[in-house]
Amino acid sequence: MSTSLWLAIFASALGTLLMRVVPFLWMQRRLNSETGLNNMPQWLGILGPLMIAAVLGVSIMPVNPSAISWLATAIGLFVTLLVWWRVRSLGWPVAAGVAVYGVVQVIAYI
Amino acid sequence: MSQLASHSPVRHALKGVREAIPLLGGYIPVSLSFGLVATQAGFSTWEAAAISLLIYAGASQFLFVGMVAAGSPLWLVVAMTLLINVRHVVYGPNLAALLPRSRHWPWLMHGLTDQVFALALTRLPQLPTPERFGWFLGASLLAWGVWIVGTVVGATAGETLTQRWPLLGEIMPFALPALFLTMIAPRYTDKRWAVALSCTILSALLLTLYGWSNVAIPLAAGCGALCFYTVKLQTRRRSS
Repeated sequence: MSTSLWLAIFASALGTLLMRVVPFLWMQRRLNSETGLNNMPQWLGILGPLMIAAVLGVSIMPVNPSAISWLATAIGLFVTLLVWWRVRSLGWPVAAGVAVYGVVQVIAYI
Repeated sequence: MSQLASHSPVRHALKGVREAIPLLGGYIPVSLSFGLVATQAGFSTWEAAAISLLIYAGASQFLFVGMVAAGSPLWLVVAMTLLINVRHVVYGPNLAALLPRSRHWPWLMHGLTDQVFALALTRLPQLPTPERFGWFLGASLLAWGVWIVGTVVGATAGETLTQRWPLLGEIMPFALPALFLTMIAPRYTDKRWAVALSCTILSALLLTLYGWSNVAIPLAAGCGALCFYTVKLQTRRRSS
């Protein structure tokens, strides 16, 4: 790999790291400082959960979209929600959702 | 003694590792695919691993190797990679109030991906403050480590693996939507949040369906924010 390609990798890596670190440190220094903010801005608190919802929307798309994979997705999400409703934790609903999604896919594959 | 053990940073890190395991359902198949795609694009195994080690941002890595393989100018490759990753700018400030101050954050924030952010934003408020640093360390290092190992495996044996277990790569990624659904489900008790979140999910899904997955996250979150404030305004007008 050429030196210029390595430079492109390092530039992309450094830029990405700075986008993750600088806003975090800036906000942490501003919070509870004498001249800064006492609380996080409201819009930022709203944007956080919406970003999670957006990541959910992107990840709903099946790897190989087809009628079966969309059906498996709908059933899998329903079961995930159902198990979450009962146990109110993160682990079991995910395991149940993946298992049901997998069963539907395997049945369709057979 | 038992009190000392309960405050051990290692124990907190292990808790983070345990709770980040569902993320691996998405990380493993995608990192395997990246390793495979990178080698097909002409990168060696170790070059692919270096990209995963240093850039560590899924979608932009695929774009990076794709553009390099297509012979795009390197300044454009870097610019597009950074443009896709610009959404990360809002992640850090959201976690700033939840994490204690530490001199290790400049390198630890390297692990702040979409998925780690989503998990951290949900779990950190539920944890006692002394546990949070260790928890983030464990969760982010597990995800990063698996991403790098997955890339190496994908680059060396990706083709064999996908041929032997063709359904594995389709089933495992479902762990991600399942996990994110359990994270946002508690907010559906509030009408305004329910409208904004549904609007965001639908927008992101539609943008992805039409091939705009690279910009789907910030655009969909913007649509959701618009919904959130519109519902608020309508409620105020009705009450006045």
